[in-house]
Amino acid sequence: MSLDFSVISPYIPMILTGAWFTVKASLCSVALGSLFGLLVGALRVLPIAPIRWIAAAYIYVIRGTPLLIQLFLIYFGLPSLGINLNAFTAGIIGLSINSSGYVGEIVRGGIEAVPKGQWEASRVLGLSYVQSMRNIILPQAIRNMLPAIGNEFVTLIKESSLLSTLAITELTMAGQQVRSVTYASFETFIAVGLVYLCLTSSTSLALQLIERRWQTR
Amino acid sequence: MDIAVQVRGLHKSFGELQVLKGVSLDIPNGEVVSIIGPSGSGKSTLARCVCNLEDIDQGEIALYGRRADKGGMSNKEQSQLVGMIFQQFNLFPHLSVLDNIILSPMKVRGIAREQAISKAAELLDRVGLSEKIDSRPNELSGGQQQRVAIARALAMEPRIMVFDEPTSALDPELVGEVLEVIAELAGSGMTMMIITHEMSFAKDVSNRVVFMADGAILEQGPPEQVLERPQEERTRTFLQRMLPHHTNVKGAEI
Ligand SMILES: Nc1ncnc2c1ncn2[C@@H]1O[C@H](COP(=O)(O)OP(=O)(O)OP(=O)(O)O)[C@@H](O)[C@H]1O
Ligand SMILES: [Mg+2]
Repeated sequence: MSLDFSVISPYIPMILTGAWFTVKASLCSVALGSLFGLLVGALRVLPIAPIRWIAAAYIYVIRGTPLLIQLFLIYFGLPSLGINLNAFTAGIIGLSINSSGYVGEIVRGGIEAVPKGQWEASRVLGLSYVQSMRNIILPQAIRNMLPAIGNEFVTLIKESSLLSTLAITELTMAGQQVRSVTYASFETFIAVGLVYLCLTSSTSLALQLIERRWQTR
Repeated sequence: MDIAVQVRGLHKSFGELQVLKGVSLDIPNGEVVSIIGPSGSGKSTLARCVCNLEDIDQGEIALYGRRADKGGMSNKEQSQLVGMIFQQFNLFPHLSVLDNIILSPMKVRGIAREQAISKAAELLDRVGLSEKIDSRPNELSGGQQQRVAIARALAMEPRIMVFDEPTSALDPELVGEVLEVIAELAGSGMTMMIITHEMSFAKDVSNRVVFMADGAILEQGPPEQVLERPQEERTRTFLQRMLPHHTNVKGAEI
């Protein structure tokens, strides 16, 4: 067999539009997911047992169930409770919640890696728990966490292909549409795969640059 | 007389391990007390209880007459009564020397930035590190880090300073500069509790030396008495081991 990419070339803008959507969805989700994950991670180490347990259970459930099921629950399940979300909103919420579970676990690890002496020093200096967390512990923890959060971002870009199951025209869905017109399945999905690769590697590269700048500060 | 630190019948266990077995200690305002004793005798635990870093099992701790154990006073109030210096310095590595010092005066005491900065500059001058104001902790030697930690604690203007082996993590050539700062502080009338293995330093700066063994105070008194004419066999044995070259410990036979 031979590959003929010229068949899909008229549809490249369509693929790029899908890619742009994937970028937007991933950025939104990583931002929301990290914020929420930071909260979950902070609650996960709180010296109040019941709150810690709830955060632990949340992380456990999120990480132990497939993203696809989480998306289905939000998009197809919630309407039975009278909550109707459009596909885009449901998708972003699903991805963000999913990501927050992973980020929460990363945050927990990052916080626990900060030496105990840092807590004790802030405590004897009179800082409250929240002040210590915000000014002393989290800034150090985030620095430790940055590589793992970066990986999470890259993972999220790839996982966002599941949004296609909610009929959202992101990159994967765009690929399916191009294929259904051109019947050039192989070429189309090779192209789509390459675009994902570009997205993930440029994200990795950008994160490495940020990390390097942080470390030399 | 004003009692700065009052410890009454303090008991503390970690699980099965009884670390403090009924320690009572009064430190009057302005007194410098050195605490010596073998490893594991509970010196750090006592210091950490006084600074409310450990929950106590039994007994009472008061600072200037106010209950300091078990949430008896707020973190904020406590920080203005007692400052603590750790063996490992515990500077905040992500903050400059200046920010290490001004953070809690600003956040906890609500002091304006300008004022906190000028106070910090004054304190850095006092510990001889004015030129390091913009450095990061990792750019400083251990001795310099410990002196910054002292300046940071003083910025809260505590009435009592607790030192837990402030020079034990330092290279020998850096010990002197830190002890000098602590001695200057002792001379200024600050109430201090110093856990140390530096016997000659303890002798020079303290009004009283306390010898701890097995979670209890075994012997205490003026430095010349405890360090040179100890009454207890345990004290003698300990001092002999600390100062193998020291022939001044009367009655010690090993
Ligand atoms: N958080 C803890 N959990 C369990 N055991 C502890 C804890 N902290 C201290 N201990 C134990 O309590 C005992 C007394 O410790 P402490 O640190 O008070 O001794 P120390 O007199 O300061 O000794 P050193 O001279 O070695 O510093 C030791 O046996 C130690 O292992
Ligand atoms: Mg100790």
